[in-house]
Amino acid sequence: MTDILNQLGLCVEFGKINQASPYPPTMKGQPGASELTKEILEKGANPQDILNTALVPAMNRVGNKFTEGKIFVPQMLLSAKAMNESMKFLKPYFLSGEIKRKGVFIIGTVAGDLHDIGKNLVGMMVEGAGWEVVDLGVDVSAEKYIQALDEHPGAVCGMSALLTTTMSNMHPMITTIREKHPNTKIIVGGAPLNAQFAAEIGADAYGRDPQDDINWLNSIAS
Amino acid sequence: MNTWIKQIMDSPTRVAIPIMTHPGIEESGKKVFDAVTDGEVHFQAIKAVSDTFNTAACTVIMDLTVEAQAFGCSIRMPEHEIPNVIGRLIYDQETTENLEVPSLSTARVPEYLKANRLAVENIKNKPILSGCIGPFSLAGRLYDMSEIMVSIYIEPDVIQTLLEKCTKFLISYCQELKAIGTAGVVIAEPAAGLLSDEDCRQYSSVYVKQIVEAVQDDTFTVILHNCGNTGQCTPAMIETGAAALHFGNAVDMEATLKACPNDILVMGNIDPVGILKQATSDKVYEETTKLLEKTKLYRNFVLSSGCDMPPGVPMANIKAFYQALNDFNSK
Repeated sequence: MTDILNQLGLCVEFGKINQASPYPPTMKGQPGASELTKEILEKGANPQDILNTALVPAMNRVGNKFTEGKIFVPQMLLSAKAMNESMKFLKPYFLSGEIKRKGVFIIGTVAGDLHDIGKNLVGMMVEGAGWEVVDLGVDVSAEKYIQALDEHPGAVCGMSALLTTTMSNMHPMITTIREKHPNTKIIVGGAPLNAQFAAEIGADAYGRDPQDDINWLNSIAS
Repeated sequence: MNTWIKQIMDSPTRVAIPIMTHPGIEESGKKVFDAVTDGEVHFQAIKAVSDTFNTAACTVIMDLTVEAQAFGCSIRMPEHEIPNVIGRLIYDQETTENLEVPSLSTARVPEYLKANRLAVENIKNKPILSGCIGPFSLAGRLYDMSEIMVSIYIEPDVIQTLLEKCTKFLISYCQELKAIGTAGVVIAEPAAGLLSDEDCRQYSSVYVKQIVEAVQDDTFTVILHNCGNTGQCTPAMIETGAAALHFGNAVDMEATLKACPNDILVMGNIDPVGILKQATSDKVYEETTKLLEKTKLYRNFVLSSGCDMPPGVPMANIKAFYQALNDFNSK
């Protein structure tokens, strides 16, 4: 079983989605995350072990390689897609409560902003780190965050902005969200932001890259 | 060597070409929406910047939706910011193959050509640098940026077909800008900065090079802008043959100058948001001076913003940027 779990971890780390995928060329024709997850579950593996010993460590390696400049956005997205393939098989165990996650992370691109590549990357990486991710999409109002928080009390929120004009929407949104859910932890990110701006608008943290978000989320979950 | 570039390299003083039109839009009392939809308003903004600041060349609005809209993308146009592409135009091999390369009379392209034409006709003391999007960044807007990042590995043939169509349009656009009489074009290719050097070569540089070969000569310069590059794909940018490279604030400019040949212009890279928009004018002065000092041994360096200066940059900060340049040149 350990061998297959290790192989699944490698599939996720190197973005091998399924057997049909031509990427990476060195694993062409081999089973991918999809086939291996199915096989492991059929052999009776504990779903929590699949998450904790294969997927989370693999995505952690991916996040670190990205931070170190060893891989780039395409490779990271392919890893996230491979992880998502595996997660499809684990979904029933999440719903039944058999697999425990670290918490709920509500993510969106702020009101007025339609850019989503950074938000998507963070969402997928955070999910791979063992969190349940609720993706509200782009152009998300404070009211949508509040609605999601009503459904997931205690969840942590993430906000992304790419434009200098829309990053200014973050402050009023944070204020509005905290009027209804005063203890909500919020992390912000996006190309034009920095830690100083995050502090000024009342965010709890600034995520420079996905791994930065994960490190902060894990620090508040523990 | 290109005449304009030779003039800059021979100049006894450092020159600045920040990419900015928004201060001109604001100076004219207009909205961004007005400028991106009306060539006359756009031109007035270019002229206002030229009249107000000692910029060594005029630049146009860095609006990376004009070309995507011409291809058929839906666009959302806010009043006070540049437009955004909505949704996805291309999904697969079939939609890629059926995609038609638009003419230059489509959507807002005529208004952008008009702005360039008016600038050439009415601003005689400075070169006019046009602008367009780069091929990979355009393809990403048509195909969805997240999806294209994955599809370069899963469906490379589809993406290459799409890139060929994007490049065909961009060559025709740049040829028209050259015919109008502008001195060059700033090709904005930020999405390629999210790729490795190898992927940047394969999915951006190869196509940018085709544009360079089609339009660049002694009278017309291609300036390749890539503010997504954190340093990893500078070799790929050099490989395009563009006579000038423009960098964002994510790179170390001194290291970048060392990495670039000394016969091409290297431009950059004051942080347009964290410094120019958000910092105090004292900080702008300090950072600009620091950059000028670090780069003083390089004749091919041009002081610039790291990207298009966003709306709402305080006038005092732009003045501090130029004051730092003037003080540096007065030494």
